[in-house]
Amino acid sequence: MTARETNPNFMNGVPQLLILRLLQQEEMYGYEIVQAIHNRTESVIAVGEGVVYPVLHALEREGALKSRRKTVNGRSRIYYSVTPAGSRRLANLSEAWTNLAAAIQKMLTGGQNVEAIP
Amino acid sequence: MSKPFHEFREKEFREKELRERLLRAGVAPRHVRRYLVELADHLADLKAEEEGPGRSPDDVESAALARLGGIDDLTRAMTEQRQFQSWCVRAPWAMFGLAPLLLLAAAYFIACFYLWSGWHIFLPGADTPFGGGPHGPIYGFENIYFQAGKFYYFGAPILVGWWVMLMAARQRLKAVWPLAASVLLAFMGAAAQIHASRTAVPGGLGHIRMDFALGASVQDIYGHLFYVLVVLSLTVLPYLIWKLRKPHSLFA
Repeated sequence: MTARETNPNFMNGVPQLLILRLLQQEEMYGYEIVQAIHNRTESVIAVGEGVVYPVLHALEREGALKSRRKTVNGRSRIYYSVTPAGSRRLANLSEAWTNLAAAIQKMLTGGQNVEAIP
Repeated sequence: MSKPFHEFREKEFREKELRERLLRAGVAPRHVRRYLVELADHLADLKAEEEGPGRSPDDVESAALARLGGIDDLTRAMTEQRQFQSWCVRAPWAMFGLAPLLLLAAAYFIACFYLWSGWHIFLPGADTPFGGGPHGPIYGFENIYFQAGKFYYFGAPILVGWWVMLMAARQRLKAVWPLAASVLLAFMGAAAQIHASRTAVPGGLGHIRMDFALGASVQDIYGHLFYVLVVLSLTVLPYLIWKLRKPHSLFA
């Protein structure tokens, strides 16, 4: 199997949004998070899988996530879940990205509110 | 371009390479340790996923390592998060200037308290715990007690120096800061003097104070410089041996 092509801009704020969104539904460990991102974005967003951990650690340090060690099927894993501060941050990030995506969509489809370039 | 993880032949070597890079980049050892543990867990999951009929263990490992990411990418992802930087890198002046002095002050405080306790327990009538009083020489447990205190007092700068060296070694720092801290500790240790007198304070509770001076006579100064050299040697020697044994010298 060849290495998946990765999105070089993945680290620019998007992983926080995706991770918080995923973990708001259920607690997960790193491998599960990466697979969930891969599956739910239909591989549009792919990442060198190991780079998800610094993002998780940073979010935990900022108080947006909490972690606990849990043994499942004889293997000890670190599970992450969202804190109330993380939920608030997810709401802010979601709003910002929704606005941004709408603005870009409008640009691409030639929306009426977009000013013509002189 | 990022060097693929799978180009490194041995798993231990890969981990070592990543650990060394992260530590040298200033990432705190506890964050490095946790990162490596989670990467190892993730790699095990990837290998389990990649396993299948007709695939050799080498193929499985290569595929899993490729998915995990290149060493450059894994390093960059961690070093871009500035909050993971060690205090040794963020504020070396505090870790190698202020912290050793505070630790030495705490160690001397404990030494003074130890001396004061022994004075009250074993020499209740003596004007000073340093001998020469009406009690004359002391033997047995009392002697062991005060000798142990003396050993601790003179060894305190070395103990703190070893802590400094340990911090520097864990973070793969260059030798400048730990050496400067060792010199500082050695001079502070050499200059420290402890005085005790019961008559200095009314009520007979006993008074212990410390001051710092390098001696009034030439002989005193030579004695203190000898102490400085002893402390420096004992502090720096283990660090130098460790550095010489490391394949990647930090002096390079």
